Amino acid sequence: MIDEEVPARELDCVGLFCPEPIARTKEEIEKVAVGEVLKVEADDPAAEEDITRWAKRTGHEIVRFEKEEGILTFYIRRTT
Amino acid sequence: MAKILYVQTSGPDTPERLYAPFILGATAVNMGDEAAIFFMIKGVMVVKQGEAEKVGVGAFPPLAEVMRQALDAGVKVYICEQSTQLLGIPRGEFIPEGVIAGGATLNDLALEAEAVLTF
Repeated sequence: MIDEEVPARELDCVGLFCPEPIARTKEEIEKVAVGEVLKVEADDPAAEEDITRWAKRTGHEIVRFEKEEGILTFYIRRTT
Repeated sequence: MAKILYVQTSGPDTPERLYAPFILGATAVNMGDEAAIFFMIKGVMVVKQGEAEKVGVGAFPPLAEVMRQALDAGVKVYICEQSTQLLGIPRGEFIPEGVIAGGATLNDLALEAEAVLTF
């Protein structure tokens, strides 16, 4: 069985604050192929709401989200 | 169901500007609409725990009561993370109902809303 959440690329946004996590996520998602997953780690508490809304607005799909000890991890599938 | 966004940029130094978003937000929800308040710049001080209890103007009830009514009605509260940094307020000091958010959320809420009012 293929693990659909294996990231093709990873982005470290730890230590970065608004609007950097959004700006870098947008830049990095364009570096994976449509259908592939980008893993993003951030510790900006605003990123949980911001990246969720960015994904919804841009149409990309958050296939998994984890929050552990202040680190937010998003697995985002590029859709377009 | 319509969506209204209120943006609160004023702080406790202008207490008369703090009531309207809560009162309007609760009114909107009671009319069947969705309401959200985004607190930014000095506005974040309003949703610091214990601050609304200190605000009162004339014959108005304490701001905390009006805020509680709005929260209980279902008004959503967002708190600008960058503004909390700007003012040096630790994130854990805000009301638990507040969602810490940033620029993408404010823009998204504004684009989703049928009306945006700033106080």
